[in-house]
Amino acid sequence: MRPGYVWAVLTKEARDLFSNRLLLGAVALPALIFASIPTGIVAFIEVNELAPGQMGQIEQYIGQFPDLPPKLAAQGFIVLNFMAYFLLIPAMVPMAIATQSVIGEKTARSLEPQLATPIEIGELLVGKAIASATPAVVATWAVFLLYGLVNGAIAEPVLTRLIFNDVWRVAMITLVPLICLLSVLLGIIVSSRVSDARTAQQIGGFVVIPVIGVAIAGFFSGQASFTMDQILIGNLVVAALIGLALVIGNWIFDREAILTRLG
Amino acid sequence: MIEVQGLGKRFGPLAAVHDLSFVVGDGEIFGLLGPNGAGKTTSVRMLAGLIAASSGSARINGHELGRASQRIRAATGILTESPGLHERLTARQNLAYYGRLYGLRGRQLRVAVDRYLRVVGLADAADRRVGGFSKGMRQKVAIARALLHEPEVIYLDEPTSGLDPSAAKTVRDFVATLRDAGRSIIVCTHNLDEAERLCDRIGIMRGTLLEVDTPARLRRRNGTATVRVELVGARQPGSFLDLLAALPYVEAARAQDGALLVEVRDPRGDNPELVRTLVEAGARIVGLHEEAATLEQVYLDLVGEAGARDADAARIGEVA
Repeated sequence: MRPGYVWAVLTKEARDLFSNRLLLGAVALPALIFASIPTGIVAFIEVNELAPGQMGQIEQYIGQFPDLPPKLAAQGFIVLNFMAYFLLIPAMVPMAIATQSVIGEKTARSLEPQLATPIEIGELLVGKAIASATPAVVATWAVFLLYGLVNGAIAEPVLTRLIFNDVWRVAMITLVPLICLLSVLLGIIVSSRVSDARTAQQIGGFVVIPVIGVAIAGFFSGQASFTMDQILIGNLVVAALIGLALVIGNWIFDREAILTRLG
Repeated sequence: MIEVQGLGKRFGPLAAVHDLSFVVGDGEIFGLLGPNGAGKTTSVRMLAGLIAASSGSARINGHELGRASQRIRAATGILTESPGLHERLTARQNLAYYGRLYGLRGRQLRVAVDRYLRVVGLADAADRRVGGFSKGMRQKVAIARALLHEPEVIYLDEPTSGLDPSAAKTVRDFVATLRDAGRSIIVCTHNLDEAERLCDRIGIMRGTLLEVDTPARLRRRNGTATVRVELVGARQPGSFLDLLAALPYVEAARAQDGALLVEVRDPRGDNPELVRTLVEAGARIVGLHEEAATLEQVYLDLVGEAGARDADAARIGEVA
């Protein structure tokens, strides 16, 4: 693996991405939407006192924050409970970029001239994967930071400390990049089998189903947030899936198959 | 230099290319001419180290095909059938990207990009996105991309496709200068006129090479040349046909539009004797010139014969 070649692909892909405003919007917008929903609820609770009846209904949830007053505990539960959706961004966004990248090359028939150079397939794919995954990782981290600071500003600084807890810091550093990488690999694999970006993204969209499932299960379980063990298990599962995707990707992406099947 | 020996490629049961053998020397332009599906692109892809050959061997600039694919790709420039550019990047960014993939860096890269932008006449449009370029401008960027790293071996697939006549001539002239610089060049084309103008030798292909020769020799492929003898005077051209039929070097003769069409094996050797015989017999000759078969006719004959052979083989296979 020669870094100069990977860097060449990476910078080309970045230029391509930054010239595509629509795709850039697709990177930033979902993250902001996911973050704005709980932030809106926190703001609503902040300006509207909860009725005693309502407090009774959420007592089992706010009981997880015995050190906080009920109103802040309710806000704490909301901000943490919605954070599972931060895992949706790395699952969805890189998929859109990766499918656009590969399908775009197929449509423009620009794979052959690249493969005719001394670049190795692995270098091309790694460059594309990093270029597709990086914007989603950066967007997730940026919105995570914004989420913590804005909610702390709306309610109390203690909310910021709740959001930036150890579990989520580990999740951001490990699980988010891993999910991004898995999403990119699945995007590339799916793109190799279809001829248009929309179909690729629709098929690839199935990857978010397990993540949505985890988020919904968390929501209804009454558990405010993931535990460290759950994050570590998640890391292992996603890493295993990445291994599987690499094996499949390596099998699909040999130079000859790309030229004869993908054009 | 490109040396190809018995090269073949199968895709499952389909033999796309078989028994391909030829040599392209340094400073030579070799044309691959053939109908769609004749295996031209597959052959070039094999020779460029893009896909593996199923049989045979080849040496590209001394590098063995299959063992040194990366070195072959580094020494090779390829103009693909479709320009395949990155639409959102400018012409300069496109070339710089490929320059990096070919191992150029820093000042060397900048100089090469600027030079080839000038060579293809796109210096003024260098910083415009290629998505807004015309077909001809895209083709020029693709040509610059193929030559950026000064390859010793160059493959050009339909190099003047989409270019206006003036730009096409510029490209042909430039390809000729590459030949003069000692590069080995293979041109794939359907354009017989271009092949004739550009190529030192032409290989007519349909799965394999049916015939390889210079354009001039290909036109005389059937071994004879037709000489047109223009006559004036009272005697009809038809009255000389019996005389011509008796001459040992005349293969056939007929009268047409006040002229005689005489087929001879060696026009340079036979024409003086032919003129003398006709003049002695009372013919008043006002003109004589050789009517060579067009390359198109030779191409159609060869491809048609090969097609008929394939059809026969398929029928025999079905019966068996």
